[in-house]
Amino acid sequence: MATSAARPVSWTEIRLWRAGLLAAFLLLWEVATRRAWVDPFFVSQPTVLATQIADWIRTGFIFRHLLVTMQETIIGFLLGTVLGVAVGFCFAHWEKLAHIFDPLMVALNAMPRVVLAPLFILWFGLGLLSKVVMVISLVFFVVFFSTYTGIREVDRDLVNNARLLGAGPRHLIRHVLLPSALTWIFASLRTSVGFALIGAVVGEYLGSHEGMGYVISYAESMFNATGVLAGLLVLMAAVIAIDLGLKRLDARFSYWKPVAK
Amino acid sequence: MPTGAIVLEQVTHRFSLPRENREFTAVERVSFDVRGGEFVSIVGPSGCGKSTLLALVAGLVPVSEGRISLDGRPVAGVDPRLGFVFQRDALFPWKTVAQNVGLPLLFRGVAAEVARPRVADWIARIGLRGFERYHPHQLSGGMRKRVALAMTMVYEPEIVLMDEPFGALDVQTRNLMENDLLEIWSQFRRTVVFVTHDLEEAIALSDRIVVMTASPGRVKSIYTISLPRPRSVTEIRFHPDFGRLYETIWKDLKDEVRLGYERSQTGLLD
Ligand SMILES: Nc1ncnc2c1ncn2[C@@H]1O[C@H](COP(=O)(O)OP(=O)(O)OP(=O)(O)O)[C@@H](O)[C@H]1O
Ligand SMILES: [Mg+2]
Repeated sequence: MATSAARPVSWTEIRLWRAGLLAAFLLLWEVATRRAWVDPFFVSQPTVLATQIADWIRTGFIFRHLLVTMQETIIGFLLGTVLGVAVGFCFAHWEKLAHIFDPLMVALNAMPRVVLAPLFILWFGLGLLSKVVMVISLVFFVVFFSTYTGIREVDRDLVNNARLLGAGPRHLIRHVLLPSALTWIFASLRTSVGFALIGAVVGEYLGSHEGMGYVISYAESMFNATGVLAGLLVLMAAVIAIDLGLKRLDARFSYWKPVAK
Repeated sequence: MPTGAIVLEQVTHRFSLPRENREFTAVERVSFDVRGGEFVSIVGPSGCGKSTLLALVAGLVPVSEGRISLDGRPVAGVDPRLGFVFQRDALFPWKTVAQNVGLPLLFRGVAAEVARPRVADWIARIGLRGFERYHPHQLSGGMRKRVALAMTMVYEPEIVLMDEPFGALDVQTRNLMENDLLEIWSQFRRTVVFVTHDLEEAIALSDRIVVMTASPGRVKSIYTISLPRPRSVTEIRFHPDFGRLYETIWKDLKDEVRLGYERSQTGLLD
């Protein structure tokens, strides 16, 4: 029947489905490679992957590289965010500035950063700096655009009300513009954090001697499919963990927003 | 002699419409004055420039011609002696009820020890004790209006401008809030300029009513409402003079409302 009164979703059932599908996939993969339907040289094997990751954890090898990647991601993310907020704020405040630099911003943002990475490595070396710059170049624009829109889109009545209530320029920024922009910045936070991690890994992948990107690229150069896939799996786990954390943070900071249902 | 007198002399405001390369006259040669402590309502058809007129008095929008003065001083920019209750309630969604009400005191540099009891007093007065830590989205429309009212009254402005503050409320809540407003007003005796669509509301609340013409808004006529005070908005409707006043003013207003409506219809066809 075509009634739209949806039955409440049973989450237990959905979780079961997910787990079942994953298990089936892994099983198929394992069997296919064992029976030599597919060559494990190209696609590795779940059990081998598991041993590899366990090995990395036991020796602490993976933590060293994960730490490097996280360091680049976090430093780049923080700097990119601060820069993006600052520039977004200035542009929203001085409209002339926005008009003058608008084409430049659009042009810069249109540049594919992945292609720029080798240049960054050339300019800033194989170490941390080039990755941080790479991350900044990605995060900055996401944060910049959301800050800019957040402040431009702030409710005019709210600004007028604040002025009538006696707000000076500082009050206006602190109590009206920033909170309003924050919602936009938070809305794009998960995107920008994702970009930050991609930036760091791509930077490492293209030229580095440590970090997750390096681990993957090294395995690749050895034609070691297990190494590549295991590296990717570790990265995936890191991304999921960060994403969960951000969801919590978002819930914490948008307490005043009605929950979208 | 209470302060808070407003004088408008030949006030005109034109909005520039840069895309159409022309100007639009929203209010034209409006003159009237409001005595300190007086309750004056402005009625007129939708789009006749009532909100614009309030924005001009508040200094949010500059006058194109003419002058407005508050207690003899010409309006130049936003004046902190003024309070404004917006047509759409302009609460700060990221602040709690108590923070919203206390915000003007914070902006004005009132010490926290002084501000706290005043905020608590106003929250009690608007009947929202126990809701101090709620955020605006957790309140009903009527409660939000109350908060907006408290936020304006907490710093005791000499002049309160209100732009259809109760327009979006149901009749019962609206009557309650109108009575609250009258009570607060008779206690504090601030000048109130009250914009409304609703002629009954205007008669029930005001000392005088300014009727505006359809756009561009001009003053069509001014009526003095000498119904006895203190009033209760629900009971004053049964006063023998009420119906007579209503009829007289409505006759005046009706033509403008029709004109305004017809113009907005042709406007849609352009
Ligand atoms: N920023 C603006 N730019 C151009 N025109 C404007 C602007 N604000 C208002 N107007 C025009 O000025 C006229 C008066 O608007 P205003 O909001 O003052 O009307 P109003 O009497 O308050 O109407 P309502 O009763 O529906 O609230 C309208 O025709 C409107 O289109
Ligand atoms: Mg209006």
